Amino acid sequence: MHEYSVASAIVDQVKAIVEEHKAIQVKKIIVSASPYEMIIPELLIEAYGIIIHELDKFKNSTLEIQISKAEISCLECDYKGEPDEKGDPEFAYNFICPKCGSRDTHINMKNLTIESVDLVIPDN
Amino acid sequence: MSPEKKVVVKKHAYQVNDELADKIRESMKSKNKLFFNMMGSIGAGKTLILEQLAAKLSSKYRVFVINGDVATTIDSDRIAKQGATTVQINTGGGCHLSAKLIQNELDKINIDDYDIFIAENVGNLICPAAWDIGAQLNITVVSITEGEYVVKKHPIIFKNAAIAIINKCDLDGLGFNSDVLAEDASKLKSGMKVILTSAKTGQGIDELIKALGIEP
Repeated sequence: MHEYSVASAIVDQVKAIVEEHKAIQVKKIIVSASPYEMIIPELLIEAYGIIIHELDKFKNSTLEIQISKAEISCLECDYKGEPDEKGDPEFAYNFICPKCGSRDTHINMKNLTIESVDLVIPDN
Repeated sequence: MSPEKKVVVKKHAYQVNDELADKIRESMKSKNKLFFNMMGSIGAGKTLILEQLAAKLSSKYRVFVINGDVATTIDSDRIAKQGATTVQINTGGGCHLSAKLIQNELDKINIDDYDIFIAENVGNLICPAAWDIGAQLNITVVSITEGEYVVKKHPIIFKNAAIAIINKCDLDGLGFNSDVLAEDASKLKSGMKVILTSAKTGQGIDELIKALGIEP
């Protein structure tokens, strides 16, 4: 289970944003992930909850995961875009290029993106 | 009531790790060092392969092996006996190495004291695939005793590797079969270098050294 590492990476980046904006509280973090990301969303949210338990500025904050579109790039032709939903009948997480039919494609599975952070900032 | 503010971030969750991994890769490359990342399940034979590599390479090269394991220094102790310098990272419950864990160890040594760096990346076929540790080349090791579906069940870690090692081939034909694993690994990624080894007998180790671009 590497969701704990991923949640830690998200929290570390948001800590820097909190510092930068001199925020007093984090309310919500929105991340986007493709359907083929190497995470289980429920486990990521669970890991986030464990990590923030002792972080005062993150207490009661939520992590929201929005599913984004998957994208493949073909290593044989110049196709870059959404994969064919049927996939590769022989190998999971692999896709046949909808343009040239090649199996030699790459799917981006590290697209987990911190989209936005809702912060409470000091009243001044 | 204090005001709220939405900050648009648009940054990859892995960004900090990946930037450090790129820095490690560039630094190694600029110093003409080789850095390999060996991934695979517990019991696939990674440590014995590394013992074989250390024994063959240490007379000519200064080899530094970073062993990642949940606990103990068993692996680093074994490999050190074959002439390599080793360091053990105990991850506790962690299931993979990261660029930061590698950098922490590199900070403790003088990189110029070594020629070849190899990381043994804990022991599973899932988590290490997601974390770039800054290596120039990833190696995935499976043994034929893991069953004929092991490549099909873990395609991502093979997609992320340049070399697939099918190990324990001394047991080929004794209820185990290397053919289907080698075929799956080849079909899954074009250009994949598939090497059949037996770390126990030494089969395939010279071929592996050649595939790594190391002059024997």
